[in-house]
Amino acid sequence: MNECSKGVILFVFGDRLKHRGPDWSGLHQYGDCYLAHQRLAIVDPASGDQPLYNEDKTIVVTVNGEIYNHEELRKRFPNHKFRTGSDCEVIAHLYEEHGEGFVDMLDGIFSFVLLDTRDNSFIAARDAIGVTPLYIGWGLDGSVWISSEMKGLNDDCEHFEVFPPGHLYSSKGGSYKRWYNPPWYSEEAIPSVPYDPLVLREAFEKAVIKRLMTDVPFGVLLSGGLDSSLVAAVTSRHLAGTKAAEQWGTQLHSFCVGLEGSPDLKAAKEVADYLGTVHHEFHFTVQDGIDAIEDVIYHIETYDVTTIRASTPMFLMSRKIKALGVKMVISGEGSDELFGGYLYFHKAPNKEEFHEETCRKVKALHQYDCLRANKATSAWGLESRVPFLDKAFIDVAMSIDPEWKMIKPDLGRIEKWVLRKAFDDEENPYLPKVFVHRFFSFTAARTESSDGFRPSCLCSTSFIGRRSSSVMVESYALLIAMIEPSVEHSSVRCGNSVTVLQNSARLTVPGGPSVACSTAKAIEWDAQWSKNVDPSGRAALGVHVSAYDPAAVPSSLTTGTSPAMLVNKKQRVMEAKAPELTISS
Amino acid sequence: MCGILAVLGCADTSLAKRSRIIELSRRLRHRGPDWSGLHCFQDCYLAHQRLAIVDPTSGDQPLYNEDKSIVVTVNGEIYNHEELRAKLKSHQFRTGSDCEVIAHLYEEYGEDFVDMLDGMFSFVLLDTRDKSFIAARDAIGITPLYMGWGLDGSVWFASEMKALSDDCERFVSFLPGHIYSSKNGGLRRWYNPPWFSECTPSAPYDALALREAFEKACADSLLFILYYQFPLAVVKRLMTDVPFGVLLSGGLDSSLVAAVALRHLAKAKVARQWGSHLHSFCIGLKGSPDLKAAREVADYLGTFHHEFHFTVQEGIDALAEVIYHIETYDVTTIRASTPMFLMSRKIKSLGVKMVLSGEGSDEIFGGYLYFHKAPNKEEFHSETCRKIKALHLYDCLRANKATSAWGVEARVPFLDKQFIDIAMDIDPEWKMIRRDLGRIEKWVLRNAFDDDQNPYLPKHILYRQKEQFSDGVGYGWIDGLKDHANEHVSDAMLMNANFVYPENTPTTKEAYYYRSIFERLFPKLFYVVSELLSAHSRSFSDGFDFGNFLPTYFPPKNAARSTVPGGPSVACSTAKAVEWDAAWSKNPDPSGRAALGVHDAAYQEAPEKTLATENSSSVDGHLQKLQDAMVEATATATAL
Repeated sequence: MNECSKGVILFVFGDRLKHRGPDWSGLHQYGDCYLAHQRLAIVDPASGDQPLYNEDKTIVVTVNGEIYNHEELRKRFPNHKFRTGSDCEVIAHLYEEHGEGFVDMLDGIFSFVLLDTRDNSFIAARDAIGVTPLYIGWGLDGSVWISSEMKGLNDDCEHFEVFPPGHLYSSKGGSYKRWYNPPWYSEEAIPSVPYDPLVLREAFEKAVIKRLMTDVPFGVLLSGGLDSSLVAAVTSRHLAGTKAAEQWGTQLHSFCVGLEGSPDLKAAKEVADYLGTVHHEFHFTVQDGIDAIEDVIYHIETYDVTTIRASTPMFLMSRKIKALGVKMVISGEGSDELFGGYLYFHKAPNKEEFHEETCRKVKALHQYDCLRANKATSAWGLESRVPFLDKAFIDVAMSIDPEWKMIKPDLGRIEKWVLRKAFDDEENPYLPKVFVHRFFSFTAARTESSDGFRPSCLCSTSFIGRRSSSVMVESYALLIAMIEPSVEHSSVRCGNSVTVLQNSARLTVPGGPSVACSTAKAIEWDAQWSKNVDPSGRAALGVHVSAYDPAAVPSSLTTGTSPAMLVNKKQRVMEAKAPELTISS
Repeated sequence: MCGILAVLGCADTSLAKRSRIIELSRRLRHRGPDWSGLHCFQDCYLAHQRLAIVDPTSGDQPLYNEDKSIVVTVNGEIYNHEELRAKLKSHQFRTGSDCEVIAHLYEEYGEDFVDMLDGMFSFVLLDTRDKSFIAARDAIGITPLYMGWGLDGSVWFASEMKALSDDCERFVSFLPGHIYSSKNGGLRRWYNPPWFSECTPSAPYDALALREAFEKACADSLLFILYYQFPLAVVKRLMTDVPFGVLLSGGLDSSLVAAVALRHLAKAKVARQWGSHLHSFCIGLKGSPDLKAAREVADYLGTFHHEFHFTVQEGIDALAEVIYHIETYDVTTIRASTPMFLMSRKIKSLGVKMVLSGEGSDEIFGGYLYFHKAPNKEEFHSETCRKIKALHLYDCLRANKATSAWGVEARVPFLDKQFIDIAMDIDPEWKMIRRDLGRIEKWVLRNAFDDDQNPYLPKHILYRQKEQFSDGVGYGWIDGLKDHANEHVSDAMLMNANFVYPENTPTTKEAYYYRSIFERLFPKLFYVVSELLSAHSRSFSDGFDFGNFLPTYFPPKNAARSTVPGGPSVACSTAKAVEWDAAWSKNPDPSGRAALGVHDAAYQEAPEKTLATENSSSVDGHLQKLQDAMVEATATATAL
């Protein structure tokens, strides 16, 4: 390709990731290898522009992520000279010292590509759970492309795919190797460690504290549900004394988004009032959301219905948060997967099945909530951090005998009871008991993603795709949008192997049957579920506590055509969705 | 700054159209990263991308009058909005936005209100009562605006070309100081200052009046920042403690802006909330003259100074992006835009959303070095008028788009309407460069701020001659660009340039290189549209009246290409001023270097200058040699 068009192409591809790192960009070229980086400066904004190097610049690394234990790692290399204050520089030195085997030493979230110019080899790796996104592609000319987002890959890539989390790709072997090998990974071995609330609490507090490493203003995403409320409670407790607090004040800022009058807004406000955070409430209209969908799909790079529903408000909120000058938020993703918080876990037949399902869910996180949390915020140059997905915390949470996680209404154990119990501190309460109660009697607790954003008065229209008569049509429309990417600079897009792109792109998105966010396997837990086409939490209705209690259902509107799966009382959201459900059952 | 896009009267009102307009509006999002809004009324769409300088929580656009029958989408700032609001006592305002006043003014006064606005703006206003609309652009064109026509009869307006270039059959740069009304279907000039006729004024020079006018202009630019009552103290704290700053190159203009802004800040009580520091920003190659000069001024003024370095490679890597954002292939503009573009990104990453900048002074006061050769005061004055009228194609374009690319807003106090009135009313005899009287270029401005008792700037800075253009960011910059272009453009390519690019044919390899990137980024070839740029260069010599300019008069051409000005130029002169010196017409390089002979430093280096200009007779084959020779001459000359 001639130089001029290469200039344009590099601009196009680099530009496509600019939203992720609006603060600076770097490009390193060595022979036929290019490492490009778009930087969002959270730690050491003044220096620390990437790519990063070892002492003699023979090793070049471009990283997206945060290494929380970098100071400790640095101390292990007194003989190495560090050039920047960047937490990621340690990667170059670790490689020099340990070769490819160092990845498990990193504590944090990361995706990186490291080029060893001495033998012109490279490695790429992604964090344990896939909190940071990464894609890999292969060009016809033998080139290998690695990018944080699919849109960064050359349109000429013959094939590309999701880079598997917890893996390392080495150019020497030309293959993946899994570096992440926790005990729970096998799924079959059912853990037996007895539940210790204090150990769990401490592990979570540590996970949060690590994530307060920042030189820029930050806040927490607070939906008013259990997970985000815990994140906010623990963060506000440990904020004082951090470097960030010295610069930006000890008051924690919290953010919530919703349609006006939505349950999330109300719940979040209550929690914020209790914790004394500086709370920011953002409202959006259904039209705002619909107008943003194409953009959301472009950024999130999925056509998964649940993810898109939940990503849209988060995407809109992130823009407002960034406009306030905030560059980082702490968020509550991952808890539902670790503790079996989704409503369908009520139907788990035994602790083995329960545990295996949580393992499957955690492994799939990178395609769902991690994808959403990372890309919806990165779209606006905002970084999200997810303490529930801390490696050490996962180890603790996944080693608990799953018997304790099982939902047992007779023993007073609702979903995520082990987590609630761990933070139920009478003397110095993290959250008032009344909230904890509310979490299982109020919609805000378990409306499964997107419904929390809707007010009761608007339940007659589906949040998105309201013009489509079925979920099938809805997801088809989204798929179309995906295949015809609304690339910002469509006029300068180069390359024409659109068919190839379509297929590879389509395959990066997970599919298969699901009820209320379950994996395909868990559908077997209830015969009724296989008939349901709506992937949201609405479907698992029969198990919601408020559904047991007619008084908790504000609306008495009923439709006679409710599908058979509605085992218990009617539920307002369910009724609104009835036409959709009947069509495909 | 914000980004606006309006589509009026499209035949297709399907959902697909709505999402297409959202997609197009998204191309302007860098201008307004904070929120977006879309108002749809029947077959009319008004879209807006907002940059919230203050109060991100309300004030989203489009804006309305009381009963929402009038909708307006605005990019800009109205400095006198409070005064205007006071005139509209019977009206109820919905937001604290300064731009809302436009909807109410229209309701009250019809189309004739535009001259009442003091500030910089581009807006489209839709009157849903009779489904008519108007669009207008500020006097000088500080904010960008383009206008286009769709095949379906729709009329389009957008802050940047990229939002309408793919969907319009033809489009033009919207003339500054004009209003377009759908009722009479034409452009009309609303801006009619005395200087527009280019008649030579005769008011005597009053240094104090000039100083006061400039101080007022700077104060206006800081209006919102200083007097806005923050409803949420927390919001402010969140927005970091550096909400705005000054671009400081160390030259006269930016140094004056910094000095005056600093004085004004000290007076305002609110400033204490922000800390007493004024932040200033400068960019350059390491060791460049600008960095040194700016540091000196910053030290003198006591600003909180931020210095950014870039490498020639970083600049070259950014070129395609710069051209995409600035939407030009004009060589001088690209050279100067690139460092500004890089700096804006760094500024934004510090949390700064607004900067003051010194554009416009050189045009108003004849600050370019070639003004040394102005034969008489009439010619001098006419040239300043022409330069101001063309600002929207050059420095305004650059200042606005290079900063907006990263969601930073640039405010330019020298282009304040009242300040221009005063400055352009001065008998140009005073502006003439008279070495015998000790008057160097921009003497009237320097003298106005020469206050012995309470000096704005130390004398040697106040009377320092300018580093012409991009040279200030480092001498290696332009050479680096030329070398890079030489690697990519062969002699044969340049030879065939007039076949490949018959309009506005590039005459240097550098120009050819930029042009090829531009054509790649804006590939759609149009078979219609104006030759705006040649119209401009022609108009200067023919006494062309902008008021009568209608795009329809021009033959079919590539629309994107035609929005960029062209024609011969020496050191940023208009085509007309090239006549001032016979040697100039032979020179193909548009930078200040060409006007060498008139720089103080060059007076001592006359032989080399002669050498350079003599060589310039063989433009074609020896182009590169010539440029090298000139560069050398410059380097030596400036080093002395």
